[in-house]
Amino acid sequence: MLGRTAFRFIVIMFVVVYAGIALGQDGLQKYFNDAALKVKATTDPSQKREILNTSFEKMSKALGKVQSSPLVSKDDRAGIELFKATLQEKQDELSGLNGYERVSDEQLDAFSDYVVQDMEQADQQITISVVVLLLIIIIVILLV
Amino acid sequence: MLLVGVGYWVGLALFLSSCSSIPPAHRVTPLGKESMLPPRYSIVFIIHGDGGYLYHDVRGNAYRADEEALAKAKTVAERNTQAEVFIFHERRRRHLLLFFPLRDGKFYYYRNGRLLAEESYWRDQGQSRFDPEVELYHRFRAEERPELTRLFLYFGHEIPEFGGAGYDASYSKRTFTVDNLADELKRITGDSTKFHLIVLSTCFNGTPHSIAALAPYGRYIIASPDNLHLSYFDLGPFEQLDVGLPDRDVSAFAKTFAGHAFDRLTEDMQTAVTVAVYDVDRVQGFLHSVDSIYDQALTTLKGQTPASIEHFDCAEDSAYILPGMSGGVDVFYRPPRFGRLKHKQSHSGWECWRFLK
Repeated sequence: MLGRTAFRFIVIMFVVVYAGIALGQDGLQKYFNDAALKVKATTDPSQKREILNTSFEKMSKALGKVQSSPLVSKDDRAGIELFKATLQEKQDELSGLNGYERVSDEQLDAFSDYVVQDMEQADQQITISVVVLLLIIIIVILLV
Repeated sequence: MLLVGVGYWVGLALFLSSCSSIPPAHRVTPLGKESMLPPRYSIVFIIHGDGGYLYHDVRGNAYRADEEALAKAKTVAERNTQAEVFIFHERRRRHLLLFFPLRDGKFYYYRNGRLLAEESYWRDQGQSRFDPEVELYHRFRAEERPELTRLFLYFGHEIPEFGGAGYDASYSKRTFTVDNLADELKRITGDSTKFHLIVLSTCFNGTPHSIAALAPYGRYIIASPDNLHLSYFDLGPFEQLDVGLPDRDVSAFAKTFAGHAFDRLTEDMQTAVTVAVYDVDRVQGFLHSVDSIYDQALTTLKGQTPASIEHFDCAEDSAYILPGMSGGVDVFYRPPRFGRLKHKQSHSGWECWRFLK
């Protein structure tokens, strides 16, 4: 009985750890991809803008919360800072702030693809540990 | 009951311990009559998959860049009936039930369109990073012949020019730099001729240092000086080398391949697309003239966090604008559709480093 319980525990741990790693590694890309799919699913430009804005704001909020945690390392904090700056640029461009031309209504679908692709590429340059990425995704989910 | 429980655990332990002691999972098919014919092309693929390689297409479908590259490399291997093809897939290290490591490298060897050998291996064996790959290459390669056209392709994230720790997610302390890759090419080519073409399907390796490091081992190099999307360079032109590269005109083939890759990438990408072809002999003068400036910049930037430095087009710094900068480089460039650089109309084909403004 004890052996069977221990075995089940090991299997559950195995599944949880691997699922956590996968969620941490891929969560950000999936998050922006989901937003892009929602943007393309609607025809109303104002709704498209709202979806994009909400996705940026929610992510920024999650990044801010994680960044302020004392448990986050200096390197992770620097990575989060860079990520936040990248995100802010996207938000500024969407609204036409800080010297950006406002993204036109006709370009919103393409812009949502740009966000996905740029974030996938930024992921190669911005170094944030898997544990911190997982924490960010959990907070984003909780912010729903 | 107690005995049953003990037996259960002993059995499990025996099964698990056996996982690491079984001989390498491999299969070798003896050479048939057709496979005995000497190949005209020798192609080496290294596909790095030990990191974050998830990407999405514009329809929202998710892909793993390394798995996609592997499938395409296999197609190239199967369709070239006059080639020998080495494929090394560097995978993330996985553990059986969290504790028992599994082999993290997979090797495929094709000759004249047929898969002749398939072998799993450990990537952390040996002092140098590429020891297992170099050993496998020399074990299987066909006899060296002067008429052999040799091609090398690397798929992965940007190959670091300094530092290089953390490139492999599974080996965070292990370092990998472009100089390590150059060392591998040196050990593969040995005293024989260079590769006729080296393709770096990575971000930001079209730099003076990367090209200079690989120049001794390749006649032509294709690389992206800027970001490269994980859908990588399309391998279509490699699928029928008998048609695309019949007369060993590698210069023309390299330009055709780069143009094709550029066209495919610009179909769906909203980010910048930059593909450059370097004629190694013709860029030597420029490389020598910027060597000390670039190395000085690298020395200054060593030890800085990624958040404090950035890449930029060398043409934006007057120190690099020297005679011969554009000689020997064919650049295919389209700016990003959005972002600060959307109005940037050209790229020199050379990427440099600087502190973030």
